[in-house]
Amino acid sequence: MRLLSSLRSVLSTLFHRVRVEGDTEEELRAHVQNRADDLERSGLARAEAERRARIEFGGHEKFKEECREERGGNFVQVLLQDSHYALRILSRTPLVTAVALLSLALGIGANTAIFSLIDTVMLRLLPVRQPEELVQILREDPSRAGIATSSFTNPLWEQVRDHQDIFSGTFSWSDSQFNLAQGGAARYVNGIYTSGGFFNTLGVRPVAGRLFSDSDDRRGCPATAVLSYGFWQEHFGGEQSAIGSTLSLNNHAVQIIGVSSPGFYGVDVGSKFDVAVPICAASLFDGKESRLDHRSWWWLNIMGRIKSGLSTDQCRVRLAVLAPQVFAGAVPQDWDLDGQQRFRKRTLVAVPAASGTSDMRKQFSQPLYILMAIVGLVLLIACANIASLMLGRAAARHKEFAVRKALGASRSRLIRQLLTECLLLSTVGALLGLLFARWGTELLVRYISTASNRIFLVLSLDWRVLSFTASVAVLTGLLFGILPALRSTRASLTSAMKGGDQTDHSERRGRIRPGKWIVASQVALSLVLLVASGLFLHSFFKLVTLDLGFDRRDVLLVRTNLKSAEIPPGRKNAVFDDLERRLGAIPGVLAVGRSVRTPVSNFEWNQHVQVDSPEAPRGEDALVFFNFISGGYFPTLHTPLLEGRNFNGRDTESSMRVAIVNQTFVHKFFPHSTALGQYIRTDDSPGKKAPDIQIVGIVRDSKYESLREDAYSQAFFPASQIPKAADTENFELRVERYPFGFISAVQDTVRQLNKGISLDFRSLETQVNDSLVQDRLLATLSTFFGGLALLLAMIGLYGALSYLVTIRRAEFGVRIALGAGPASILSLVMKDVAVVLGGGVAAGAFTSLLTVRLLQKMLFGLTAYDPTTMLAAVGLLSAVALLSGYLPARRAMRVDPMVALRYE
Amino acid sequence: MSSQAQILPGTLDLLILKAVSLGPLHGYGVLLRIEQISQGALLVEQGALYPALFRLVRQGLLKASWGTSENNRRAKFYELTSAGRKRLQQEADGWNRLATAIASALNARPEEV
Repeated sequence: MRLLSSLRSVLSTLFHRVRVEGDTEEELRAHVQNRADDLERSGLARAEAERRARIEFGGHEKFKEECREERGGNFVQVLLQDSHYALRILSRTPLVTAVALLSLALGIGANTAIFSLIDTVMLRLLPVRQPEELVQILREDPSRAGIATSSFTNPLWEQVRDHQDIFSGTFSWSDSQFNLAQGGAARYVNGIYTSGGFFNTLGVRPVAGRLFSDSDDRRGCPATAVLSYGFWQEHFGGEQSAIGSTLSLNNHAVQIIGVSSPGFYGVDVGSKFDVAVPICAASLFDGKESRLDHRSWWWLNIMGRIKSGLSTDQCRVRLAVLAPQVFAGAVPQDWDLDGQQRFRKRTLVAVPAASGTSDMRKQFSQPLYILMAIVGLVLLIACANIASLMLGRAAARHKEFAVRKALGASRSRLIRQLLTECLLLSTVGALLGLLFARWGTELLVRYISTASNRIFLVLSLDWRVLSFTASVAVLTGLLFGILPALRSTRASLTSAMKGGDQTDHSERRGRIRPGKWIVASQVALSLVLLVASGLFLHSFFKLVTLDLGFDRRDVLLVRTNLKSAEIPPGRKNAVFDDLERRLGAIPGVLAVGRSVRTPVSNFEWNQHVQVDSPEAPRGEDALVFFNFISGGYFPTLHTPLLEGRNFNGRDTESSMRVAIVNQTFVHKFFPHSTALGQYIRTDDSPGKKAPDIQIVGIVRDSKYESLREDAYSQAFFPASQIPKAADTENFELRVERYPFGFISAVQDTVRQLNKGISLDFRSLETQVNDSLVQDRLLATLSTFFGGLALLLAMIGLYGALSYLVTIRRAEFGVRIALGAGPASILSLVMKDVAVVLGGGVAAGAFTSLLTVRLLQKMLFGLTAYDPTTMLAAVGLLSAVALLSGYLPARRAMRVDPMVALRYE
Repeated sequence: MSSQAQILPGTLDLLILKAVSLGPLHGYGVLLRIEQISQGALLVEQGALYPALFRLVRQGLLKASWGTSENNRRAKFYELTSAGRKRLQQEADGWNRLATAIASALNARPEEV
């Protein structure tokens, strides 16, 4: 009953606002008239009676407002009214509003962008049936507990598949690249090897044809393929006729049997698959030495779906029990006894995999968290900025508030009004921010994609991102609104009405202080940001100017693959030699070299090396990184030979085995004797003694696979002496400029020799720079946001000081009239700047010192406490602050005493 | 003036309910009725009457309708709803118990302790 009548009251107020408002007015006026009638009857004149009646009634507007509050439904009405009013107020100062909106949109947009990346890469669940039941199975070496590895051999996977009893389904998969082209320039697609249970266990359905089942994944299977929905649309236009047709993968015809459902991109977040083939098809691609029976070819990942009712603990215990049997069934026979023993002792663990696996997650989680912190700081600075703008505006509206109070507005009503303005601002800012974010995330993803690692993410605004943005909007609105709202509505009525802008001294000081606080905290936050961005920039600069031991500029890398060229194994070296000569003859090519691996690539070849020296290192220290090269390699890359000779035509398959080693190798293996002329050996392989290899030259150290690595021991051998001729070799072409301009000339040259050779191009510079993608991301974005923070702090300081100068104008006028020179006025204002700056810098430096430690892992070549960076940040910030303080101070010096005093 | 007392906070609602229970009244009428039934001893701040009336309507204790007053002015008349009648009964009982208790406490003599 009561609820119903409240509701009716609320609704009638909402729908008949004008009428109800009129009714109230009429009712109150009737009361006064009735009273006046009575007073008139007691003998007063009508005019006097009405006056007395009004006085007796009390504050007309105040009671009317109280009636509105009591009537209910007021909240919505007030909100509408406040929003309407807020719009009017905000549009009256378009510049301030625009600045506030822009900084909010940037701030909230940046936060949303980074958060949506974090959401996509780290938080989102796989779009499959009940993803929370999925676990990834890892292996762990008991001697290195806590470090679990995800890769398995095929024999191990078969053991797991056949012996487990805790999963309702298991599957394994491996990412790969398949070449669609038959010779010539390679066209790669993202491939994936999957076991027969892959789609079934995940609960993915076909949109056309059928998906793999266990019967598709048997030894000796015919090559079949399942396409992803996207690839089907792109390459076959979504035609049903694609099913049953063939596709050429790595020069093998593969039959298409089906298409998986849209929205499924595989279980690896950050990439997508185009074509899936069953694991058994690997034997087709590998040729004689298939990875299916290889017991130390670690290429598969394993996942399982836990049977319902089983807990993760039960699962873990059971896996530990299963492990000995699984490993015993797949021991690599060619390992030494000790290694086999350790192999049997390995164990299995399971980790939740509801959100899939991701290399990208490993690579970018830390940079993303750092960026999240950075954009969070930027938003805080923007908030502080808007808070001081609001404070300044609230001060200008001092009189308005006094009048509204006098007319009966309660303080809470005024605060509500001001907060509505702020929330309106932050909401509009957030909406604009969503647009920024949409565009920003796409830009970011493109920025971190490289030629060798193309990032693919499904960027959609899900509920998590939207609620994040909504809460950020409300929080920021309250954050920058609450202080000005509380401050500006506290003013006493009388002083405001009496004195206009000239409030009494104590109150004025009270009102300025929070402004100073805000600006000082802005300075502090900006310093923290500047220090961080300075560190990233400095570290990135060190990386790009690092001496790599080779010259990365103007080198074209050509990767060739002979697989489909049908060249007998004994002829391969001769073909590569021939290719090298022909490529070197292309006009404009200054030098050419040839190698099994290129510098700073992730293909790694290392072995333990023995030497006849008492100081020979053992264990990990004896690990040496290998490359097989032609005599043109060092001259082409500009790596200087320090001692001895380069490889030449007399180093052949049948001649003495020779090697060139680098400085670190010499340092480690022959610290006190001459290395040149000494012999080195690799470990013996079963039944075959390793040959002695003579050191004939020493080269400068150069980077092997990463710019961050410490110097590796490296050994180079002539390509002609490679133990087993490879299908893939690389050519390095040094050119005058613009390496990519030589692609078509190289294609023509290779085609003349053999049409079946497939080619892949890249420049050495891109290859090196792509390895710096994290560093570049952090350096660029932190510099951008650091600059933004600096700009915001500058605006904040300028605004606060301008306001301060305005309200002290009369005081400056008096001082000047009494003979104060411009210099003393300047020092008066700059003293304020100094206080704010000093406080802010001290707090910021303190915070920086506490937090920079967290960045250490991302830095290269400097400590997080790098004094140069710190001083540069402080210097830059101080210069900017002093400049933005000087402008208002100059205005203070020019105050005309007459004008200021007359105003008083 | 000294014979008049400011009404205690919270008792205004009770007085209004009582006044209206004696017959439908408009706002000014409520004021006069309270003065009348308290023999002029209770002073109600005139403006404050209306927020209280609106509150009681919202709580469903009073209902309001427009009519014509004795001197032919359009006026809003308030009357008690059944919920209002029940509430008046409860509040009056409560108040009487409190008043009796306080009166007897104040009349206590040393010999009774």
